[in-house]
Amino acid sequence: MPNHIVENLRKEIENFKAVLKVEKTGNVLEVFDGIAKVSGLSDIKSSEMVTFPNSETGVALNLEEDVVGVIILGDFSKIKEGDVVKATGRILEVPVSDSIIGRVVNAIGEPIDGKGAIKSNKTYPIEKVAPGVITRESVSVPVATGIKAIDAIIPIGRGQRELIIGDRQTGKTAIAIDAILNQKGQNMICVYVSIGQKDSKLRKLQARLEEGGAMDYTVIVSAGASESSALSYIAPYTGVSIAEYFMDQGKDVLIIYDDLSKHAVAYREISLLLRRPPGREAYPGDVFYLHSRLLERACRRNAKYGGGSITALPIIETQAGDISAYIPTNVISITDGQIFLETDLFYKGIRPAVNVGSSVSRVGSSAQIKAMKKVAGTLKLDLAQFRELEAFAQFGSDLDDSTKRQIERGKRAVEVLKQPQYSPVKTEHQVAVLYALVKGFMDDVPVDKIKEFERGLIEYSERNAKTFYKEVTESKIWTDKGEEQLKKAIGDFKESFNK
Amino acid sequence: MAKISPKNIAKAVYDATEGKSGQDLAFTLKRSVVMLHKKRMLGKADEILNALQDIFDKKTGTVRMKVTTAKGIGYGEKNRLEHEVKERFKAQHVKSEFFEDQELLGGMRIEVGDEVLDTTYKNKLHQLERFLIQGK
Repeated sequence: MPNHIVENLRKEIENFKAVLKVEKTGNVLEVFDGIAKVSGLSDIKSSEMVTFPNSETGVALNLEEDVVGVIILGDFSKIKEGDVVKATGRILEVPVSDSIIGRVVNAIGEPIDGKGAIKSNKTYPIEKVAPGVITRESVSVPVATGIKAIDAIIPIGRGQRELIIGDRQTGKTAIAIDAILNQKGQNMICVYVSIGQKDSKLRKLQARLEEGGAMDYTVIVSAGASESSALSYIAPYTGVSIAEYFMDQGKDVLIIYDDLSKHAVAYREISLLLRRPPGREAYPGDVFYLHSRLLERACRRNAKYGGGSITALPIIETQAGDISAYIPTNVISITDGQIFLETDLFYKGIRPAVNVGSSVSRVGSSAQIKAMKKVAGTLKLDLAQFRELEAFAQFGSDLDDSTKRQIERGKRAVEVLKQPQYSPVKTEHQVAVLYALVKGFMDDVPVDKIKEFERGLIEYSERNAKTFYKEVTESKIWTDKGEEQLKKAIGDFKESFNK
Repeated sequence: MAKISPKNIAKAVYDATEGKSGQDLAFTLKRSVVMLHKKRMLGKADEILNALQDIFDKKTGTVRMKVTTAKGIGYGEKNRLEHEVKERFKAQHVKSEFFEDQELLGGMRIEVGDEVLDTTYKNKLHQLERFLIQGK
């Protein structure tokens, strides 16, 4: 056995060729809070990687007249004044390969899940110019999140950027996780970027994804709360580089940034340490560009340029529901819509706590399948009217019949849109249930029995409206024949339900 | 007003002293030191002197070379190195310093400005170490 080890080592050493080249070097002048000020390093490029004596890497961020400001990606406690810093001549890049799927990596693409090294012979730069106009295509294919409130009212298309925004503990991550879980068999690769989250939360999330079989098509990029802000700053760019690797193969990718508020805070910390001038809320002047250049990389490429798409779901945490703060308004203006979650709704038991009035999807409706469009067309309006009438109805009991009807319908719509966590609903089932709702089949079902009715309806219609399901699932069409069959199935089921 | 850097001061001192000698030069230098004292920049004297040396080297086409070896090297080899560096950097003068460091085990490390050519065994062993770690 020892001979075998020696033999392997001998072979490895034989393959080794020492590289002799002139290197640009500098010396560490100061080190503080993950930042190093380095002298020398002439001709260094912005975002170029540098190496420190203990093999830690850094990125040159501030190129000043005499010194270079470097952010240290890793343990900076061992770096000391006078240490030699070497320029690598390469812009910061991450290793990418197909075998990264199912793995948890850190912000520089190194595995942290204890499952060994990830074999890769390709790297992608973390900073890249977003695909140009010529290479893009309009959003037209849906991303089925499995969440009724989203798929019906705020639909998301492949290549879209939809913001998930809300206070703490309103279920932002839950929506993202449900969306990942529902991608099983949808030909989608998911990248979950965790920025400044607790390791325990990430571990729980990974276990949930593993349990749901979602790690087979998911990559997790993590920059934990205990890691330096430099890593939090680069983590989303690493995530999108991994996503681009798959998009370049013509695949569809869903990327979640959880969350960009912490990303902005990390960048603010770095900028202040680098002595860049602070602006509003002490964020540096380029904080808009920080997010716009990241989110612009989400796109749908046309067939001529290989197809593929990156759908981005950035998450923003608001403070006391203030969506007019600096970072939320920035990201709202960059994205193609937002899903607004409210604490009040959450505690009322309406989960997901989506505020339908404030939420919007600017491009997603063109990606909705015809059947969904047909049934969900008036749902948003109905719900908005219900919210207004509900407030109004609290002051008076004498309501006319049509108002009463609208309120009753609204109550049932709210009930239908409630959905427990980790239980995504298939699009065809959503269509069947929403059809029953908008066509008034649920109007006389007691509100507390809506969920039971919904479950039964799905089961019954699946058995008795096969043509409808086949059309919606396979050909994504809506025909009168299918509609008739569904209508009959709902009517029959209702009769048996009432008995 | 923009911050005055040691480089700015070195440039000003060089311009003020250029072409002067004897008492004239001594007087200008004294005035420069007084100015630094007034501006409370005497603490940056080392940086200013380094910057001044850089300016002087640039003007006179001088390149400074630092060579570190495990064992001392002969006169002929020193000359050859200086000649090589002179050619490579198109310099008029080469000022060299030679050091010995047994930890390097063998080979030599040549430093010119912020460029380094490291052919030492110590560096090669470090490279081998990294290669073996990454290969696993």
